[in-house]
Order: sequence, then structure tokens, then C-alpha cells
Amino acid sequence: MIDLSVHIGSLALQNPVMTASGTFGYADEFKEICDLNDIGAIITKTVTPHPRPGNPPRRIVELPYGMLNSIGLPNVGVESFIIEKMPFLQTLKTNVIINVAGTDEEGFVFCVQRLEDVSGIAGYELNFSCPNVKGGTSFSSDPGIAERVTRNVRKTTRRPIIAKLTPNVTSISEIGRACENGGADAVSAINTVVGMAIDIKTRRPRLSTGTGGYSGPAIKPIALAKVFELSRCLSIPVIAIGGIACAEDAIEFLIAGATAFQVGTVNFYEPDATMTIKKGLEYYCQKNNIQKIADLIGSIQLKEMAK
Amino acid sequence: MVRHCTIRSVDQVARNTYLLSFEDADLCRVVRAGQFLEIKVTQCTDILWRRPFSIHDTHPQKNTVDILFHAVGPATRTLAQLTAHAELNILGPLGNYFRYEQNVREAIVVAGGLGIAPFMLMMRELQERGIAMRLFYGTGRSDQFCRLEEFEKYAALHLSTVDGSRGYQGVVTDMLSDYLDQSAHHHDSSLYVCGPTAMLRAVKEIANRFNMAAQVSVETIMACGFGACVGCAVPMTTPIPGQKYFMACKDGPVFDIREITIDD
Repeated sequence: MIDLSVHIGSLALQNPVMTASGTFGYADEFKEICDLNDIGAIITKTVTPHPRPGNPPRRIVELPYGMLNSIGLPNVGVESFIIEKMPFLQTLKTNVIINVAGTDEEGFVFCVQRLEDVSGIAGYELNFSCPNVKGGTSFSSDPGIAERVTRNVRKTTRRPIIAKLTPNVTSISEIGRACENGGADAVSAINTVVGMAIDIKTRRPRLSTGTGGYSGPAIKPIALAKVFELSRCLSIPVIAIGGIACAEDAIEFLIAGATAFQVGTVNFYEPDATMTIKKGLEYYCQKNNIQKIADLIGSIQLKEMAK
Repeated sequence: MVRHCTIRSVDQVARNTYLLSFEDADLCRVVRAGQFLEIKVTQCTDILWRRPFSIHDTHPQKNTVDILFHAVGPATRTLAQLTAHAELNILGPLGNYFRYEQNVREAIVVAGGLGIAPFMLMMRELQERGIAMRLFYGTGRSDQFCRLEEFEKYAALHLSTVDGSRGYQGVVTDMLSDYLDQSAHHHDSSLYVCGPTAMLRAVKEIANRFNMAAQVSVETIMACGFGACVGCAVPMTTPIPGQKYFMACKDGPVFDIREITIDD
């Protein structure tokens, strides 16, 4: 029996497979496709203080090896989330992590505060990639704001906090360090890469908002480099996200230094991907005589690396 | 649920239009007209997403389900080349379906081009309920009509072509409008509609003018088809607090035409 368990701070995962926010709904969408309790942790779609309708269509574009999205965080707001979405999530035996965002700094604390008395929540992921921020500065690109928000959330909860980082910055490790200083238990990286597509017949952007977030297999090398960088400069665990579509992809990230990983875009077109990936991890470990998957974490061989 | 199905046949039934039949004993008994499938064309490695297809017809006696499609992109061109015994990875049935009111005397089906796809199964469902049918079916030119001899078994046909090569010359909605102007019985008729955006917009106007109920099956871009990506937003006519959009995959694909805004 292979030991697939890993730890994110105080959070014990039966396996390192997590679902990326915004690609797994509120899990009930997948209940007939996946054995939800076999997933290490489920991360919900982003919850905000107030309901959001989301962006006008067109919201998604398929590209070779990836997709663009500009969904705009549609959700029912934290109050309705607790009433409408939590009851199902509370029936699950696995870890449920709520992804939260605010349109201002207080918004993050507001959501977490409101969720603190709700049972069945294993932790929070802070979505530091929301585009509409007071003062025009993004949470994701200003280390001072990222640290302050993390610290304020830290004061609000004893549950584990994961800070989700964007790659659209000069130095992701600078933001990562700020989150660590603010008291985050882990960082997750990367969120989508800003991207664009244009219809050459109409000369209009293909997304209603012009630009959007690029995800899927195409961004895996970018994500791998960022995860490698973060895991070398932070002392808290790094959770990998970015183009993971099969067990082999996930294993690369574990070797690069990720403690766990999130499965995202692939959930849309292979909705049982979390199950396949978990089985693939077991198979890889068996074949390579690895008893504990935790032994793989950060096992990258760097002797040959220049620089 | 994810189904692994075997193709029984793929046949060209009109210009660039294909009828694909596959085996699934369970699916052919549970689906309703208007529902759709998401197919992963594993034989085509150039694409990421599944592709949504309306269910065209079912044959419980043969355990088969049919889809109808145009070969337009890499996925559908690949599908058109597949032959019997090839495997398909299918998710479904997905979405809601057409509803039939008790007091409807006649169903008026309006289809533009490949918008005909969901109506074979629907017409069989309507026939079982003893509801009379009329089919207003428009295409660009005569060789784009498909399966007319089949549809003729269920409904009175009203055909139109843009180039005038068969039937009424012009768009199907002008033919519909002319018909309704002259018909005294449309009050207890109901419209069932599928086709391109411009056609839907015209039908919405017609339904409003003649005060007729209309159910429309919309087509949108979808990454998943089951509510996870939230990409298939359809604007509501009357937004409710915090909500401006339906999801075509879960709230639809069939809507009351009054509930939705038909955008480009």
C-alpha cells in the first residue's frame, strides 16, 4: 500500500490531489462522475462578500493546448453560499477549502469572518487575483497589500490559509514571501496567465472583456518554473497549479518542490481527471518503488543545472 | 456520467451534414428531446474541449442514439471520418428538454440550418402525445436540407431557401410570419425553435407579435457542459438581484424565449 498522504501546515491530506478553484464548481456538479471523498482536498469556486453576476458573454475561448476565460467570479455571495452550497459540502468526508475574494481588502476578512462559525471547512484559499481593486492596485502584485490582507485574515481564523498567487508579476517569490510573513500556511501557484485572442474577421477581442486568464496544458512550463522558484525561497508548502492534466504532469511538480497540486482546466473536458491522476500517482510509486509520495517532494536532481 | 460508446454508422445526409449513430442501451431510453451530449473526440488531438451535440434521435429497439452535425472544425471533421466500431467518449445526457403543454393543439417547429438537429426525437415525442406538427425549415440552398422524407412522416413541411432553389425564397422567419398572418388558429399553437442568432431574434419578435409561447434551444460555446466552467452565459431578459445570466448547459439549453436576451 503506497502512502499518498501529505501535509499542508496542520492540514492532513490523504493524497496530494486537490481541485483548482473555479474548475470544480461546488463539487456537487461532479458527484456522479468522481468519488469526491477520494480527492485530497476540494477547493470551491470563489465566494465574495456579495452576489456577483459575472461578466457578459463571451466568457471563454478555446485555443490550441489551452483556454482563455473571463468569467468574472459569478457567485451567490457568502450568505447564500452558506445556505445553498455548504449543506452538500458538509456531507463530504474529504477536506473542503473555501476560496474567497473581496473587491477591497476588507472583503477577504468579511468572507472568512462569516464562514468561521460554519462547520465542515478545512481552510481558506485567498484569491489574490481579483482585477477590480480599490486604488487600482491589485492584491496580487503589491507585496505590502498581500501581506496586510493575509495578516488580517490570519487574525480572523485559526484554520489553514492558502494564498493563491498570480504569475503576472515581476517576482512571484516576493509576493510569496509577503504572504508567508503575513501568516499564510501555504501558497498556491499559479493562477491564470493574462492572455488575449482577437477575431481577425471582426477585429474584435474574442473575450467580452478584451483580455482574460490563460489556463490549461499550455501554461504548465510557466507554472513549473514558478513553483520551483517559490519552493526554493519559501519555508511554507507550495501547492502547484497550472496545466496539470495527468499523473506525469503532477509528478513533475512534486519533484520540483510542490507539496500538493491542484487539477484545473482538465476537469472541464475530462471530468474524472482527479480520479485518473490519483491512480496514476499510485502506479508511478509502485513502479518506481516509492513507499511514500512525500519522499518525492523537492527530489529534483540539480547537479547538471547551469547558473 | 462518462460513457464509452461504439459507433454503429456515420452517413452523409446533406451537404457537409452527417448523421452519426452509436450504441448505448441506457442512454437511448433515458434521453429527452432538447438534451445534449458532450463528446470527447479523442481521435483529434488538436483540441482541448469536448464538443456539445443535440440528441437528434434515439432507437430503443436498436439501442442506438443519433447525432447530426456539420463538419466545420477539426473535431467535427474528424467525427465525419470515423467509421463503425470506433469508440466515442461521451458525457450525458445533459441539460433540460422541451416541455409540452396539455392544451397545445399544434406544435410549430422552426429550424434554421443545423437547428433541425433536436427535432427528430421531439417530433416522435409529440406524435406519442397526439399533437399535430408543422415544420418551418429554412436553409441556404436545397442541398442543405436533411432527412425531409423522415420529417414528412410527422409534420406538414414548409421549406425555405435563401437562394430560392427550393420552397419559399427567403428566410424561414419571413415564411413563418406570412403563414401566421393568414392562419386563424395560431392562438393554441406553440413554437419550438432552434437556429442561428438572427433567426432566433426574428422568432422572438414574431412570438411577441402573435402572442405565442415559444421554446428555444440555444447554442453557446461551452468548455464543460455540466455547470463547472460557467462559460455559457445567456443574458436574462429580467435580471434578478446578483444574477444576470442563465447557464445554457444547466438552466437550458431550452428556454422560454421571453426569458432570454438574444445577443450576437
